[in-house]
Amino acid sequence: MASSSSSGLTFKLHPLVIVNISDHYTRVKSQMNPPPVTSTSATVNGVEPLQQAPRVYGCVIGVQRGRTVEIFNSFELLYDPSTHSLDRPFLEKKQELYKKVFPHFYILGWYSTGSDAQESDMHIHKALMDINESPLYVLLNPTINPAQKDLPVTIYESELHVIDGIPQLIFVRSSYTIETVEAERISVDHVAHLKPSDGGSAATQLAAHLTGIHSAIKMLNSRIRVLHHHLVGMQKGDVPCENSLLRQVSSLLRRLPAIESEKFQDDFLMEYNDTLLITYLAMFTNCSSTMNELVDKFNTAYDRHSRRGGRTAFI
Amino acid sequence: MDSSIAQKTWELENNILTVEKPDPSSDSIFYYDEAAQAKFQQEKPWANDHHYFKRVKISALALLKMVVHARSGGTIEVMGLMQGKTDGDAIIVMDAFALPVEGTETRVNAQADAYEYMVDYSQTNKQAGRLENVVGWYHSHPGYGCWLSGIDVSTQMLNQQFQEPFLAVVIDPTRTVSAGKVEIGAFRTYPEGYKPTDDPISEYQTIPLNKIEDFGVHCKQYYPLDITYFKSSLDCHLLDLLWNKYWVNTLSSSPLLGNGDYVAGQISDLAEKLEQAENQLAHSRIGPLGPPRKKLQEESQLAKITRDSAKITVEQVHGLMSQVIKDILFNSVRQSNRSHNEQSGPEPMVEA
Repeated sequence: MASSSSSGLTFKLHPLVIVNISDHYTRVKSQMNPPPVTSTSATVNGVEPLQQAPRVYGCVIGVQRGRTVEIFNSFELLYDPSTHSLDRPFLEKKQELYKKVFPHFYILGWYSTGSDAQESDMHIHKALMDINESPLYVLLNPTINPAQKDLPVTIYESELHVIDGIPQLIFVRSSYTIETVEAERISVDHVAHLKPSDGGSAATQLAAHLTGIHSAIKMLNSRIRVLHHHLVGMQKGDVPCENSLLRQVSSLLRRLPAIESEKFQDDFLMEYNDTLLITYLAMFTNCSSTMNELVDKFNTAYDRHSRRGGRTAFI
Repeated sequence: MDSSIAQKTWELENNILTVEKPDPSSDSIFYYDEAAQAKFQQEKPWANDHHYFKRVKISALALLKMVVHARSGGTIEVMGLMQGKTDGDAIIVMDAFALPVEGTETRVNAQADAYEYMVDYSQTNKQAGRLENVVGWYHSHPGYGCWLSGIDVSTQMLNQQFQEPFLAVVIDPTRTVSAGKVEIGAFRTYPEGYKPTDDPISEYQTIPLNKIEDFGVHCKQYYPLDITYFKSSLDCHLLDLLWNKYWVNTLSSSPLLGNGDYVAGQISDLAEKLEQAENQLAHSRIGPLGPPRKKLQEESQLAKITRDSAKITVEQVHGLMSQVIKDILFNSVRQSNRSHNEQSGPEPMVEA
């Protein structure tokens, strides 16, 4: 299998797809391995019951605009082990259902779990080619490896290569980016870090918001450090000089400052002023409300109409 | 180090329980025990106790799907169904799916083709290994909070008569984006004529003026349930790794730009409420010894308005903070460079 794709398509993956595939896998796996009835039975054996790792299959749907392929959602499919192919009528039924709710999404490809793409997968891939002429194959590796730093999801495309004089379709790996909408990001954040879900005090909300930004900036900082370290190494001569990398870094640096124009400054300051205005209004409201309460309390305490000219003592 | 002390104080103040990393054996929640569920259906412990279900556990997948679907509707209400099971006094929501129904305020129930859709979808799901049954429905209230309107209450009462156990979930995608946290509420209605013995304390939320009557009339007919979330060990692992690519999105999100309309709407709504409150205050000035209860109500109305305005302001300020931080990070390079050289900004080179 070749290592890099040359089709020039950019792939964007939504986190929903990843969570979908992971849930499908966990579900099927836990149905196959029912949890032990009592905890003692597991310890008596001394050995954990063998966990079967099933392979699950499904379809990915999304939108293709020009050269950009964006994968939004996915659903499960049935695999027929006797014919080594996916259940076609089932796929069509599901596709119909999903078309009703998400009319813009098309079938972009299929997914499966496992550690590496296999030869038999090409069979399934070819079967899907009549729906989409160049389907994608998304592979998720469900084994949890704590040392792993990278997302265990790979996207493969198929390309026609001539091997030993015979044109064959083989899988080539493609790179992808994670794309999200704001609402998706917030809910992923919520589930991943279990932020305090209730209102809390203003201080808690502020802390939560700033913590999020702080972690993102920390990541940015660490990545920049890595680059810096590498460049210093290149300068010293420890690392062989790579011109393409240097060009990329240089163009990245030239992108800063990000925006620089009169109009941007004006808009930015206007936004700033709007927010300050809102703060001012809120302060005003708060003050008038407090004033109102104070006046009411004063009136209740020093009740002028009950006794002429006198002041009632209050406790 | 005082930062760790600060973190510990914060955690203590907010009763943050560090959940241990779930190991694969704790994924047992994903296992569907058909026999136990059937038995529970027969016993019907909820028939006698109207407050039987107290908690809801929502899976990461269900939450993600519901929020994305609700947001994709924009300002139109959307609805869908949730699948799951029950566990003692908790309802567990494992998955959710959207229904092809366009919601309007006057639609009471999903139409016939939505029922067909539901049946088809459940059948195909059972084949594909999703064995759970439908345990509830969800819909969105874009921009006006998580509560049940009059139509929703009657729909849910009907559901609770014929499709027990059933849960109603409401999501507000606009407020989610604006506040930076998920706005979601889970409710169950009381049957007709039942009066709850104690007043459940629910979290205060601001309701726009044109809906406040609908909210007030029905708010005693249902009670909210506590929501917790769960995820599998694989989900945990994947989400952790996802952060490596995700931090870019966190930094680049700009809530101020996306929600301009909503904020403007909220402020004009507040202005109207203020006018109302002012009128009420003016009336009470006539009787100096007016009944103390009336005064309390006006005060609390003004106090409510104050709280609402504080909430909007806080959200705006948070958004502005992000913008300012980004500006400092990425734009202030120029200031230090300007003193060094006179060159005008070079155009960025095409990437290799």
